[in-house]
Amino acid sequence: MVLDMVKQMLSESFPDENISPSIDERNIVTLRGECSDWNTLIQIGHKAAAVEGVRNVVSEMTAKGVTIPRRDYEPFRESGEKIGVIRKADVVIIGAGISGCGVARELSRYPLNIVVVERGNDVASGASRANNGCIHHGQECKSGTLKTRLNVEGNRGYRRWEKELHLNVLDCGALQIIQEESQMPELKKRYETALRNDVEGAKILTPEETRELEPGLAKTNVPIYAALWLPTQRQIEPYETCVALAENATVNGVEFLFGCEVGDVLTEDGKTTGIVTSQGIIQAPYVINAAGVYADDIAKMAGDQFYTIHGRKGTIVIMDKAKKPSYPRLVSQLTPEYHKGKNVESKGGGMHPTPHMNLLLGPSAMEVPDKEDNSTTKKDLDYTMTCNQDPNITSADTIRIFAGVRPADFKEDFIVEMSEITEGFIHVAAIQSPGLASAPAIAKRVVRIVTDDYRKKGKNLIPKADFVAERKAGVCFHKLSHEEQDKLIKKDPRYGNIICRCEQISEGEILDAMRSPVPPRSVDAIKHRTRAGMGRCQGGFCQIKVIELLAREFGTEWTDIHLRGEDSPILLEKNRKEAEKGR
Amino acid sequence: MEKMKVDLAVIGGGPAGMAAALEAKRQGVEKVVIIERDKKLGGILQQCIHDGFGLHRFGERLAGTEYAQRFIDQVKETDIQVFLETMVIEMTADREIYACGKKHGMLHISCGAIVEAMGCRERTASQVSLYGKRPAGVYTAGSVQRFINMEGYLPGKEAVILGSGDIGLIMARRMTLEGIHVKGVYEVMSSPGGLTRNIVQCLDDYDIPLTLSATVNEIHGKERIEGVTIAKLDENRNVIEGTEEYVSCDLLVLAVGLIPENELSKGAGITLDGKTKGPVLDENFMTDVPGIYAAGNVSVVYDLVDYVSQSGEIAARGAASYLKGEGSAGKEWNHVAAGENVNFVVPSKVSQGDKEKVSFFLRVTKPLKKSKVEVMQNGVVLASKQIMHGAPPEMVAIDSPVSGEGTITVCVREV
Repeated sequence: MVLDMVKQMLSESFPDENISPSIDERNIVTLRGECSDWNTLIQIGHKAAAVEGVRNVVSEMTAKGVTIPRRDYEPFRESGEKIGVIRKADVVIIGAGISGCGVARELSRYPLNIVVVERGNDVASGASRANNGCIHHGQECKSGTLKTRLNVEGNRGYRRWEKELHLNVLDCGALQIIQEESQMPELKKRYETALRNDVEGAKILTPEETRELEPGLAKTNVPIYAALWLPTQRQIEPYETCVALAENATVNGVEFLFGCEVGDVLTEDGKTTGIVTSQGIIQAPYVINAAGVYADDIAKMAGDQFYTIHGRKGTIVIMDKAKKPSYPRLVSQLTPEYHKGKNVESKGGGMHPTPHMNLLLGPSAMEVPDKEDNSTTKKDLDYTMTCNQDPNITSADTIRIFAGVRPADFKEDFIVEMSEITEGFIHVAAIQSPGLASAPAIAKRVVRIVTDDYRKKGKNLIPKADFVAERKAGVCFHKLSHEEQDKLIKKDPRYGNIICRCEQISEGEILDAMRSPVPPRSVDAIKHRTRAGMGRCQGGFCQIKVIELLAREFGTEWTDIHLRGEDSPILLEKNRKEAEKGR
Repeated sequence: MEKMKVDLAVIGGGPAGMAAALEAKRQGVEKVVIIERDKKLGGILQQCIHDGFGLHRFGERLAGTEYAQRFIDQVKETDIQVFLETMVIEMTADREIYACGKKHGMLHISCGAIVEAMGCRERTASQVSLYGKRPAGVYTAGSVQRFINMEGYLPGKEAVILGSGDIGLIMARRMTLEGIHVKGVYEVMSSPGGLTRNIVQCLDDYDIPLTLSATVNEIHGKERIEGVTIAKLDENRNVIEGTEEYVSCDLLVLAVGLIPENELSKGAGITLDGKTKGPVLDENFMTDVPGIYAAGNVSVVYDLVDYVSQSGEIAARGAASYLKGEGSAGKEWNHVAAGENVNFVVPSKVSQGDKEKVSFFLRVTKPLKKSKVEVMQNGVVLASKQIMHGAPPEMVAIDSPVSGEGTITVCVREV
């Protein structure tokens, strides 16, 4: 029945494409065949997933002229099996992005032995790194989806994370402005969606109320007919959040293994027993799949691939914080030009101030066959720049352009559930936007899955009495008063040595980061923790000083210091033997 | 917090700052301090081991380090107080400075006058819209100069240079001498960005090809750079399709321009000039905040260090007269206009009244043959000089008397 409907859809909507579908008893549709191009492949996947009764879509399709890179996991499996068992844990989490770190931290409340494996050399090495830091209100998600529920719950859940982990937060709210009466039905529709999605505090405002709430609008003379006010929108630093969660998890006993590739998921009698990694075998009755863009590959290893992850690339532009945004709140004017040409599956990006008041533009949304294609293009940049509605900001204020790939499935919803095939294997997959905003709710849901399963097996997990909920924020030199700065330097002179001129980051702060529970090993990891190198000179002055500090702290050669991973050395070799003297 | 009071604080101990401090002493200013964030005086000259410095001032070809040493030696002979490893993190419009360092903690310095001499910084990959990946191995020319000349490390073996500004050219030669294969220099503009002598001495002498009207369109390589796509550009600087060419390299050096360091100026509410990217200045190199002066590459990016030192001395003389209650503060202004073939002139305003000598620094808009530089006011030519050729990268300096009231126009015409 369902298969017939899929076939009918294919012949009606894509008569020129030669795609053959099949279906299993769980109503998982698998599509095979060659599409004429990549975007058609994506469209076919979406249309098939939208057919009533289809649970999800696995794509074995190819596209003409497109090479779809596939990862070879065999070497990691071989390496791991050779090494043998290295850990016996209760829970192993694959991936240290926002989902993996969040789950690790929330599970660390319980007396469990938890290991997190991450292929990158730091937390937030994938989609969580290239993110605009939104804690979305949840109005823009499709009602009734898991995504919407977790977004709205996650938004609330952050209140506790913000407090316990001392995160930098910009409590900005979101204002969606219309300029003409003719747009009122659209605004009302948005308002109703907000109510339906249980978004707290949603309200339609008069022009006067709008200008009072965001005085910047009066200065820029934006015409206002009405506005939708969504007060729960906040902005955080995604990297800082992952670091904070990982550090706090570590303090509570979680172990993180970096540069650790998964080669296989072990199963026995329909149950998972652990994973094989490039660093050895980790035995565990629970395996949590938070592997981002590669979650489908990991699910396949566990014998339960019922979705395919396709990569959606987003490009973001960071503006110099010397140019203050005109609107400290998150403002969008819903003009006909706004979000023109956006990807239908995306919210379209926007103009987001960070807690440090850099303005971020974007992200764009481009479907890409290569899940690691984080290259920037003129087309993406051009779209991203259209998100700018601040008359005081121009492209000349750009300090950094970057891109990342978010993991989407064809249902365009989150998957957070225990496998129906492999007991103990928990999917945390297709966590695209608003994955960051949903992280506390995702973590809570996974905790419930695990604790319920323990209960089913007759064991009641009780939170640890010695759980440390608080993660103290480190010193932030430039935010202190001059008197406080003076006192701090007198206590520890290293805070008086400014390493990063643009962001005024001191040696003391960088050393603090290097001695933290999840120590950064690369120049980028230092940048993401301390902001050294994040300013307008982009490390032109401080990169060499950071290299010096890293080499000194970890006792390595300067040539062993990397920008990111183990194949990204900054300096290749010494050109003068004499240079060694005096060092 | 330690508090102190000085007559003149010079922020930055490079060629501009040292010249300013020394001139202030010559002018009889009593308490002069230099606040320098590095471990040593000399500024960026510390990493400029090539020669060609000081031709105007000393009539000799000195290495940058030698040029700096001459000033350092002079500073040592004075009672100028030098704070090293001390960085100014705030400067207020009423001339209060907050500077921090390991030794002193936070210093609060109340200043009679201030000369800003922090230099400039380099434009980066994102600022020139380089597309593609963001691997290791993409550095600004100044960083590469530091890696090689000061730290003793090679950042690559096969280099492509984007931008033909002077630092890019100097680094093409430097890298070649260090055994790095420089595959080519690519320049977006249709004429070179650096001095002719550097094109000859740094590229031609080493057979390094220079391609004009071309850019790096895309960077390849995930972790470490593997190559770049080069493309030719049309007159509007748009990529000409079909001209894309892949060039393998493990190092991309960016010499794509310098911008005066403006953080402190902005903090003090100083008005900036859209053309020079530095503060709006008068004939004494005073900003529009009374008592705060700009010198060297903070005022505008110069091509020759001789001009950098000269600007420091102009600012110091201005500061000295300001401290005596004289100077240009509070006066009415004559606007200085960029006339024919002139991109910008520093200063952009001159206080009204007769003056024996005002130094003007200008850049031309396009390459020119033998030309005449003229300073005019109320239809009268106040000063003129001939130059054998003009080029946008080369600063032209001309001294002129100025009288009374009326817009001053500086122009350059081919003869």
